[in-house]
Amino acid sequence: MGSYLIRRLLRTVLVMLGISLVVFVFVRSIPGDPAVAMLGERATPEAAAALREQLGLNKPWFFNPANPMDAQYPKYMGALLQGDLGSGIKSNIPVWDDLKARFPATAELSVAALLFALLVGMPAGILAALRRNSVWDNLATTISLVGVSMPVFWLGLLLSYFFAVKLGWLPPSARLGSEVNLEPLTGFYVLDGLLRGQPAAAWDALRHLILPAIALGSIPLAIIARITRSSMLDVLGQDYVRTARAKGLTGRAVTFKHALRNALLPVVTVIGLQAGALLGGAVLTETIFSWPGIGSWVYDAISQRDYPIIQGGVIFAALIVSLANLIVDLSYAALDPRIQYS
Amino acid sequence: MKKLLLTALLSTLSAASAATLVFGGNGEPVSLESGNITDGISILVQRQIYDTLVDFKPGSTDLAPGLATSWKANANNTAWTFTLRKGVRFHDGTPMNADAIVFNLSRWWDKSHPYGFRDQGRTFEIVGELLGGYKGDATAVIKNIVKVNDTTVRIDLNKPSSVLPNVMAAGYFGIASPTAIKKEGAKYGTPASKPVGTGPFIFQSWRTGDRVTLLPNKLYWGEKAKVDQLVIRNIKDASQRLNELKAGTIDFANDLTPDSLRSVQADKNLVAVKRPSFNVGFVSMNNRNQYLKNQSVRQAISMAINKKAIVEGFWNGLGVSNASFVPPVMSWANSSKVPADYKFDPAAAKKMLADAGYPNGFSIDLWYMPVSRPYFPTPKPIAEAIAADLSAIGIKVNLKTQDWAKYLEDRNKEPGFDMYMIGWTGDYGDPDNFYGAYYGANASDDINWNPANVETLLQQGRAAATQEAKAKVYSQLHEITYNAAYRIPMVHSNPLAAARSYVKGWAPSPLGSEPFNTITVTGKK
Repeated sequence: MGSYLIRRLLRTVLVMLGISLVVFVFVRSIPGDPAVAMLGERATPEAAAALREQLGLNKPWFFNPANPMDAQYPKYMGALLQGDLGSGIKSNIPVWDDLKARFPATAELSVAALLFALLVGMPAGILAALRRNSVWDNLATTISLVGVSMPVFWLGLLLSYFFAVKLGWLPPSARLGSEVNLEPLTGFYVLDGLLRGQPAAAWDALRHLILPAIALGSIPLAIIARITRSSMLDVLGQDYVRTARAKGLTGRAVTFKHALRNALLPVVTVIGLQAGALLGGAVLTETIFSWPGIGSWVYDAISQRDYPIIQGGVIFAALIVSLANLIVDLSYAALDPRIQYS
Repeated sequence: MKKLLLTALLSTLSAASAATLVFGGNGEPVSLESGNITDGISILVQRQIYDTLVDFKPGSTDLAPGLATSWKANANNTAWTFTLRKGVRFHDGTPMNADAIVFNLSRWWDKSHPYGFRDQGRTFEIVGELLGGYKGDATAVIKNIVKVNDTTVRIDLNKPSSVLPNVMAAGYFGIASPTAIKKEGAKYGTPASKPVGTGPFIFQSWRTGDRVTLLPNKLYWGEKAKVDQLVIRNIKDASQRLNELKAGTIDFANDLTPDSLRSVQADKNLVAVKRPSFNVGFVSMNNRNQYLKNQSVRQAISMAINKKAIVEGFWNGLGVSNASFVPPVMSWANSSKVPADYKFDPAAAKKMLADAGYPNGFSIDLWYMPVSRPYFPTPKPIAEAIAADLSAIGIKVNLKTQDWAKYLEDRNKEPGFDMYMIGWTGDYGDPDNFYGAYYGANASDDINWNPANVETLLQQGRAAATQEAKAKVYSQLHEITYNAAYRIPMVHSNPLAAARSYVKGWAPSPLGSEPFNTITVTGKK
């Protein structure tokens, strides 16, 4: 197990190095350059050329015959290996500072969205499997179809309008009310409110979390419900389930003790895959809900061609997805004793 | 438990009094370092923290005293002397004086200034843009910045300029505390720093991606703020800004879409605020195109587009269409010989096209912006309406678009776009800021038309000392550019803002932002 873990972590480091090269080349291959994006409507060819020079974007990508180290990639990698992701071209804010400040927001939202998806999606899937072809099954299938096909930004605006403007039950956007002062500790505001002894702030943060979590969790919910249903149907038809029933075990014991645990393996796989999907979905959700996470930040950086932010954001997101999948792989062993890593 | 919750609630809200003013910004500031920004929301936040050397009168582009109480040019407009307000202190207690002004201007203009932090990514590109370049550049407007005495600063110029005080009033150029910049170093202006100015509000905190919180400056030299706290939130999505306004979670906001007007008017808790127009949305035509290089063709196209109907349809009454490249507030710069509006006459346009040798029309590309701007809030439907109008005179329009950064780049790359939509929002109240940006020698290369007489007139306009003299020059420019018809002004729009009904004293500036020290929120619950 230990050596497996070390091998996987080493492989992750190699993947990160590969991604750093790929993202370096890709961002520079996208048409449109940062100097023009920075200048906007003011961008004349002369102004753009002057700014490009100031930013060092006129230097060769990989190799400068006059001075081998005076090229973009050696500088970028040299800094990266020292843990320096550079600074935003426009803002001059160190990318790492932004990541530190923004990641907890995305993480809190993603965890909440995943929890929502699991807490609703799994029971819905189980119910649909147990009551196959019933009204419950049809309802769960319909909801999951709607969840998958509804655009997140539209759902977000709809939720915000209905629950915040029309009903006034929940705030329309942001992480905290404008008049709530909470000094971050972990960056997870619900937790911070409790840790700081400000339960009202925690409650306020939780209220702000509900709508974006529902919007972001809608697609994973639908996928989890469908996978749970089909996996449960498959397991419920297995011989050992029939045997358990024949032995006189209660329906609940058969479902939750024997069938569900085995049906969970594909669900766990899907959860691992959803880590990436949640980061992707966060782009729209964060924009709609004014959520100060990394999704909307990287999205803005892409439209502005802010290379250091795109590079830092992508490398960081890749790291998170890699680690999430490692955790999922390790959890297989916990769920199924037959699986052993060596 | 209930008691505990109540205590916690009170402690949480204790710092926030009833007089918290909450503004819904359309994004997050890029930086709070003055001289190093170009985006609207950075300017808006900086206007609260910093004062500029020269200011604007509320709701206007006319100049007013700022940190300088007066300013005067020499006989030929090649040196400007600014007399500074006495007794003003930065929020950190250090004095605002000639040394501070020279320090700020020099770090923006002098590329070798030790506190310009250019080796750490600072570019101050707006200085190059509005002042022709940096210290030592052949094109630079500024030659030298001199401290005359503690309360007097002189700026020597390489060429005559009557617009220098206007440029100094632009929101980019807030005066910061030299002590704070030296102390904070290259992190100055980032969320990890504490920006220090002399403005009506003092920086308190910047929560990344979320909000900037400011406190009133009790020692402000001008009108003191009337709220206990100002929160400027980052709400990028326009629909969400409207939702927040309706829900009462923000007090006022900018940049709502024109189609929100009815919704705002229908809400008894909200007041629609039309910001005075200071922009122009236009269609540019490229001289490199075989058809568009013909003046009659360009004029026919101009006559065939029903601009009034388009503005009524897509701006919801929040804008005007006329034949001027400068917004209505500077109509003094227009020529009386140019009609107030283009004549919409498809039949005459079709005949003109036939006379030009194209009785059956032709096919052409029209590029529309992929982003929304106040001057073109919904570019695609507007482009479709233009295409429909042109098809009536036999011109088949192929609508095209692409990513914004690429769009901005490709318009200036040969052969450029045939026709494309673009616009401009002014930085300060002088026609040079509009004509110079799109017709000057250093302007965009998108239409391939830079006649010498236009550049000469622009130079004369910059040197002209009085508005009367300027009007003479710019009316000629108006006639030349109108007849040339390379750029067809479509609209001068009024960006839509809105406020909760208890918000009083807000005087929206045509320039897009203003200090909020005049605002009261009496009656806010």
